[in-house]
Amino acid sequence: MGRYIIRRLLQSIPVLLGATLLIFSIVFALPGDPIAALAGEKRADPNIVAILREQYHLNDPLLLQYWHYISGVLFRGDFGVTFADVPVSQIMAGKFQVTINLAVTALIIEAVIGVGLGLWAALRRGKATDTMILASTLLLISVPTLVSGFILQYMLGVKLKQWTGVDIFPIAGISNGLRSYLLPGFVLAGVSIAYLTRLTRTSLAETLRADFIRTATAKGLPRRRVVGRHALRNALIPLITFLGADLGNLMGGAVITERIFNLPGVGLQLFDSVYLREQPMVVGIVTVLVLIYIVANLAVDVMYAVLDPRIRYE
Amino acid sequence: MRVTKGAQIVAGTALLALAVAACGGGASDTGGTATGGGSAETPVRMELGEPQELLVPSNTTESEGAETLAALFEPLVNYDENKNAVEAAAESITSDDQKVWTIKLKSGYTWHNGEPLIAQNYVDAWNYAANQENAQSAGYFFGRIDGFADLNPGEGKTVTTKTMKGLEAVDDTTLKVTLAAPFSQFKVMLGYTAFYPLPKAAFGPDGKVTQAYGEQPIGQGLFKMDKAYKKGTDQTIDMTVYDKYPGTKPKGWTKLQFKLYTDSDVAFNDLQANNLDIHDSLSPAAISTAKSTLGERYQDQPDAGVGYIGVPLKYNPELDKVDIRKAISMAIDRKTIAETVFSGTRAPADDFINPAIAGYRQGACKACTYNPAEAKKLYDAAGGPKTLELGYNADGGHKEWMEAVANNLRQNLGIEATAKPFEKFAAILDELDKKTYKGLFRMGWAIDYPSAENYLSPIFSTGAIATGSNYGGYSNKKFDDLISKGDQAATVEEGLKFYQQADDILNEELPYIPVYFYRNNSGYSTSVKNVKINLLNQIEWAEVEKV
Repeated sequence: MGRYIIRRLLQSIPVLLGATLLIFSIVFALPGDPIAALAGEKRADPNIVAILREQYHLNDPLLLQYWHYISGVLFRGDFGVTFADVPVSQIMAGKFQVTINLAVTALIIEAVIGVGLGLWAALRRGKATDTMILASTLLLISVPTLVSGFILQYMLGVKLKQWTGVDIFPIAGISNGLRSYLLPGFVLAGVSIAYLTRLTRTSLAETLRADFIRTATAKGLPRRRVVGRHALRNALIPLITFLGADLGNLMGGAVITERIFNLPGVGLQLFDSVYLREQPMVVGIVTVLVLIYIVANLAVDVMYAVLDPRIRYE
Repeated sequence: MRVTKGAQIVAGTALLALAVAACGGGASDTGGTATGGGSAETPVRMELGEPQELLVPSNTTESEGAETLAALFEPLVNYDENKNAVEAAAESITSDDQKVWTIKLKSGYTWHNGEPLIAQNYVDAWNYAANQENAQSAGYFFGRIDGFADLNPGEGKTVTTKTMKGLEAVDDTTLKVTLAAPFSQFKVMLGYTAFYPLPKAAFGPDGKVTQAYGEQPIGQGLFKMDKAYKKGTDQTIDMTVYDKYPGTKPKGWTKLQFKLYTDSDVAFNDLQANNLDIHDSLSPAAISTAKSTLGERYQDQPDAGVGYIGVPLKYNPELDKVDIRKAISMAIDRKTIAETVFSGTRAPADDFINPAIAGYRQGACKACTYNPAEAKKLYDAAGGPKTLELGYNADGGHKEWMEAVANNLRQNLGIEATAKPFEKFAAILDELDKKTYKGLFRMGWAIDYPSAENYLSPIFSTGAIATGSNYGGYSNKKFDDLISKGDQAATVEEGLKFYQQADDILNEELPYIPVYFYRNNSGYSTSVKNVKINLLNQIEWAEVEKV
């Protein structure tokens, strides 16, 4: 197992290098001078532009620029500075904190609600409850985050507060600490909740029909134990895969949610940085995102082995 | 039974989410601000976009950073309700020949670290700003001061001096500024962010403004920073009234908090929920709601910006004839565009000078009146081109109105007119320079200082083709002469006469076609009142009162 994990981590090095070089060249290839972009609509002073280009190595060829950048990251752990002279790592630390809080909140919400509802539906298959759950997941899937976000923000954040005077769901920013993430977390989790519910329902329903469940029931085990220990544990494997992959999606897909709820996270930063051609910022964020994907996938694979002893890697 | 189960799930989720977010920690938690109203300790909360750069006056040319700095610094002059510059940190600003200016400082101003404000602070700050080696984005503001050229020898050349010869601190309270050429509006310029002074503490051992200063500027104004602003991490910029500020302080409150938003509509929701007190950039979407829900707390006032259709005179000889430009101008239905496309957040333009500024004359641009029949006649007679392209930058919400203008031209002139998106405004300028684009283009102007001159010289003077924002390449000797006469006039008012004559030339020749004037749409919460916005679009903090 240990060897497997080390091998997987080593494999991630070329993946990281490849990804960063690719992103670096893409940002490099975008039209528009990053220094001119800083000046907005006024024509930047050509004199100043020249000095700044020199200062940020923008006149060097792509590969040399990449080398400047990646050697800093690899040997000094230095992600460079933005065009406003702020260290990229300082900005990233703050933004990733927010996005991770948001993504983990969303993940927990979707795991609890999604698995819970799926379980409930599977156990009452064909009954009214089941139909209702299926119908509501369909609704969740079909409403885009943008819409649900604004509606929930307005109804729960603005109207509810105006009517009751109680401030339960802060609607913007992170200044309310943990509560700040509840509503955005729910909105971000929305679509995944629906998928997870359906996945759980199908997976569990299938397992419940398996021979070993009939055996377990036949030998007189209480229903709770049959479902909890035998069925659910087996049904969990596809769910774990889904959740693992979804953590990455949630982090990347947080752009819209972060915008609606004014969370200063990584998604928004990435958007702005691409817009301003901030190569070090863009590449830095993408590097960390790739790392998170790799680690999340690794964690999923390890969980497999724990859940199902038949699946063991060597 | 089932209901209970559902409730348990939801409650459990909430608890878990809280627990996990708790592990995150780190994020600053100011909390407790939701109580609203009342005590002096509750801050007045103001909407702000993230400042682009660290907070250094000479490197701040965008509105968000400028708004923050305006709270921290006292400018030499402020602007009163009659659009005139009045002394603030300055006791007097005088000149006999409009070339040598003597600025006397008021006594009593101190930096937030306790040091007294002296004339040398201005000299240091301005020399630093003007030096090309420091690459300050507002450096060009000092271009009129004698000696600016020495600090800006050009690309690749080293700067041999650190000071402008036109700048001298005669004593602690007297600053003498010598300009390279007379400029009657110099006093009006001095309210701009770039002209703020800097304390000794701002400079590091290498003579550059330090990063620490940019994060927590020490000013000499009404508010001082509570703590450093960490760009990227912090979502608020917190300030407290400076005890020793000699000017008028706000009544009944001492704390000011700028809250950073990326989306103006989200800020508007926060305003409605009373989590925010002042929002001065309402979006068109929010305005219809704002009118009904905020009532008197919704404000609509002229904003000094102008939106034009730019004409590439230098690059496209087909548009050379004045009648063609007049016809295009008369074919544009400005009123409908302002009211429908912009939902009333703009006003139809009828002069090159904005109504917010002294010098504006209603209806000065005769060809700005909608007259499709006359337009068609004029256009055909002058032999205008059969196809026109209208370039706009797709990143700034210009698509709708440019499409509307193209529509107007198609219908009223009977030509092929199309709106063409560009990725950024700079892309349009690039293509103009390379002569690969010959179409009309969108252009906007937000003033740097509230003088009529600022609508004319930087955009339409011959000198501005090389160094300014004259993207169309318009050049007219008579216009240049009038500007220069205005610059040399003995008083601001006398200068204005010449500028208006120069403005007449523009209204007659239409080097650009003015389409709309910006308006400022703001709203405030029930916990504050008397919110006033000045000519620079900044809040008059001393006037704001808590309810």
